[in-house]
Amino acid sequence: MSLKIDHKKLIMRIPGTGNFITLDNEKCTLCGRCLIICVMNLWKKSDDRVHLVDDYASHCLECGACYQVCESGAIDFRYPAGGTGIVYAKG
Amino acid sequence: MENYDVIVVGAGPGGSIAARESAKKGLKTIFFERGRKPGEKNSSGCGLGPRMWRDFDFMTELTPEDCPSLRPGAAARNYLVNNDGEVSGYLMTKPTDSVTYEPARSWITMNCYRSEFDPWLAKYATDAGAVLKTSTLVTGLLKENGKVSGVIDEKGNKYSGLVIGADGAISMVARESGLRQRWEQEQVTIVPQYDFECPPSKIDDVMGDEALAVWWSATFPAAYQVFFNDGFHIGLGNWMTWWEKNPMHYLNQVVALKYFQRQIRILEAKPREFQVHLLPWQGQPHDTHADNVILIGDAGGFPCPLEAEGIYPAMVTARAAIETAVEAISAADVSKEFLNLYDAKWRATSVGEEFKTGPELASIWKALPFSPLKTMSWFVPMLMEIIGGIFDWSEPHAVRVRQIARRVKQYLPNAIPFIMREVIPLLTAILGEENMNLLTDPEKLIAAMPELEEAIARSFVENDMEEK
Ligand SMILES: Cc1cc2nc3c(=O)[nH]c(=O)nc-3n(C[C@H](O)[C@H](O)[C@H](O)COP(=O)(O)OP(=O)(O)OC[C@H]3O[C@@H](n4cnc5c(N)ncnc54)[C@H](O)[C@@H]3O)c2cc1C
Ligand code: SF4
Ligand code: SF4
Repeated sequence: MSLKIDHKKLIMRIPGTGNFITLDNEKCTLCGRCLIICVMNLWKKSDDRVHLVDDYASHCLECGACYQVCESGAIDFRYPAGGTGIVYAKG
Repeated sequence: MENYDVIVVGAGPGGSIAARESAKKGLKTIFFERGRKPGEKNSSGCGLGPRMWRDFDFMTELTPEDCPSLRPGAAARNYLVNNDGEVSGYLMTKPTDSVTYEPARSWITMNCYRSEFDPWLAKYATDAGAVLKTSTLVTGLLKENGKVSGVIDEKGNKYSGLVIGADGAISMVARESGLRQRWEQEQVTIVPQYDFECPPSKIDDVMGDEALAVWWSATFPAAYQVFFNDGFHIGLGNWMTWWEKNPMHYLNQVVALKYFQRQIRILEAKPREFQVHLLPWQGQPHDTHADNVILIGDAGGFPCPLEAEGIYPAMVTARAAIETAVEAISAADVSKEFLNLYDAKWRATSVGEEFKTGPELASIWKALPFSPLKTMSWFVPMLMEIIGGIFDWSEPHAVRVRQIARRVKQYLPNAIPFIMREVIPLLTAILGEENMNLLTDPEKLIAAMPELEEAIARSFVENDMEEK
């Protein structure tokens, strides 16, 4: 039997991050890069509009990939408050 | 406002060495970490390179008491995964006879988790007198007359001093100082990885000292596997816009390999943690400093252009930055022009030597492991044909050699342009043009190629019957 992994269950977070990613739909060109790159699938597209899922702050791994790939500057990313968010015990 | 000589943003390997060297030089130093302790936000392969032991004397003090996860990567397996997604062979390598010093002769990397290593390193900085503020996000740069004068943290506390940006791939310091909003898409990679736990005795029995592996593949970008005392990482990376599908699709392809599944069964391995991190990977660092600001380690884009070893370069650039800071502070000149000295200093190190052939090294990596479909799809079968083809009892060996040669000939239309575009420029950069001309003139080679191909083709034509 082959082992399949649900990576979304293998993360540990400290709550209290607040909001740290914002999207400006006016600037979004619908290029779709954020949708491909986010390993947690936190970016969605519906009715020709991209959005970040509501509870992203409790799943986001703070990698910044969405910010890095968005060349139109629609995505702003800052790290969450010190001492909160993702914890890698075996990084 | 609190006044310091040097303010370091980030307590990874770069930040901790910068803080340590700075404090040791008698400079008033503070360093910040957004995690509750250093290391808990970071993920690496994580193999420490032997140059760390050669160039930083305290490294010999690293013991399993400090870092229980330590395991030497004394040998490396290179698996070759073919177009059908099967392991078609592997090659084990160890440090070779030409390696000149210890511990590089004993192991390729020393493996341990960042959650153990980073706090251990940070202690050398605090012991030297630097102040460490954890659970503290630095949110911006202070500016006076448009020039950076210090930093501000999330609580609004202000600190003045020379700013060292050791804040990793997504660097606030680079952004706020105007050095870089974001990387070019082919200057940085995304690297997801799984951590698996498994009993240490299983790793000893199954892997022995082969505590490193690269899975070179025609179906996913090359994956690495690094064994620790009681577990291992398996991960892979590629440039941001080189993914046709979500990166997890490719990482899960590695996990789904029959060979890998068998390995985790016999190792009794279980997935324990998932991590993802960006990793700068480029041919040439640039925009490394501004007025009163120096970027080191990942923030400056210093991981090795071939294999992205980044911990040693972070430590080396930290040292170069502090040597520069000492001179700047005593000259009372922290202008960008004065800080050009930083580029001269890191270029004179082992890291600078690596970047002398940086563009060529990055290019060959891009063309090989980062191009599974384009290059590895013929490279893997060609290599395996040569390595695996001879020791075969299906025909008399002379017949086998001809069969192999005919097969290899099919790959030549791919292999020759690859050698011309990637291998020759790299050799030229390493040897210098004059020596390269002695060895072989690329123009002469190109001119001779059609004849050579024709000769190979003709010499095997009469034996074509054997194929049928
Ligand atoms: C998956 C993966 C595998 C790798 N494998 C290897 C390997 O095997 N060997 C190797 O040598 N290299 C490896 N690397 C590269 C290596 O991890 C990096 O090059 C190295 O960590 C760079 O060190 P640094 O100190 O510059 O930055 P980092 O280690 O990224 O440290 C930056 C620190 O700054 C903190 N920080 C960031 N922003 C702020 C802020 N605003 N305020 C306060 N704190 C902040 C972060 O929390 C972090 O602790 C790997 C990288 C990845 C992603
Ligand atoms: S990457 Fe930016 S521009 Fe492209 S779809 Fe996402 S938000 Fe829109
Ligand atoms: S930071 Fe990373 S994990 Fe978080 S939303 Fe962006 S891409 Fe996804």
